[in-house]
Amino acid sequence: MLRREFAIADTCFLIDWSRYRRRDILFRLFRTVFVPENVLNEVKSENVITWISEGLRSDKLALYTPVSDEVEEARELIEESRLHPQLPSMDLPEALCLVIGRRRGYIVLTENRAALLAPKLLSKYRDVEVWRALEVLLNAIRYNIIEPDCSNPRKVFDEYCHDTLHIFPSKTLNEAIREVEELCRRT
Amino acid sequence: MGEDVIKEFLEWEVKARELRRRMADWEFINKQPPRIREALKYYIEKGDLYVASRIAGLSIEEFNELRIKARIPNVA
Repeated sequence: MLRREFAIADTCFLIDWSRYRRRDILFRLFRTVFVPENVLNEVKSENVITWISEGLRSDKLALYTPVSDEVEEARELIEESRLHPQLPSMDLPEALCLVIGRRRGYIVLTENRAALLAPKLLSKYRDVEVWRALEVLLNAIRYNIIEPDCSNPRKVFDEYCHDTLHIFPSKTLNEAIREVEELCRRT
Repeated sequence: MGEDVIKEFLEWEVKARELRRRMADWEFINKQPPRIREALKYYIEKGDLYVASRIAGLSIEEFNELRIKARIPNVA
């Protein structure tokens, strides 16, 4: 399988992801991960600043400056999402990522629930591929970037949850574990 | 399809909120200054890191560290 070329990560995803012990796998999965310019204002610790600046220096990360037309579409998307009051709110950071994902075909990396639901509910965004950390980990296993521990197929996911105090939904986690088990059976 | 997606999401959201409420260190949260305390409570209810960090007046990374100190899981 070919590795994916480009992704755009929202700042919340990247900061949470940066606590993960194998955070560099993101740079092996994608040629370039674009990040919003404001990401640099949102990090304070030396560890994360170093990781991000190393990513920028090696061209694995790149700053993305949205054009006014993209911001305008993101505003419209926020308004549309707010027409469903029972759904989680969408704000500019994740809305911009979805717009950029739609227009440029980038995979969107986010943990925002509204952004995860948008392709399922809004026809304009149905082709946008949105990945959470769970999908990043699973794809890293699929592309042989992470070698799973076949004696404990959930270990990769457990490590991420431990490092970031994250809980994956049981249904999707169990599906991912089953896929890892199947991959282990085949090898 | 939309209604099924919304129904499944709402059911999961109830579980996610309950997990955040149950796992949170309420003693730690209640000791915080008002702005931080309210931001943590907002996060528990909504699970939105960006807005919670704005309420707290902190960067996203600073608030994420606080979330972890308060033992509130990121459920997603």
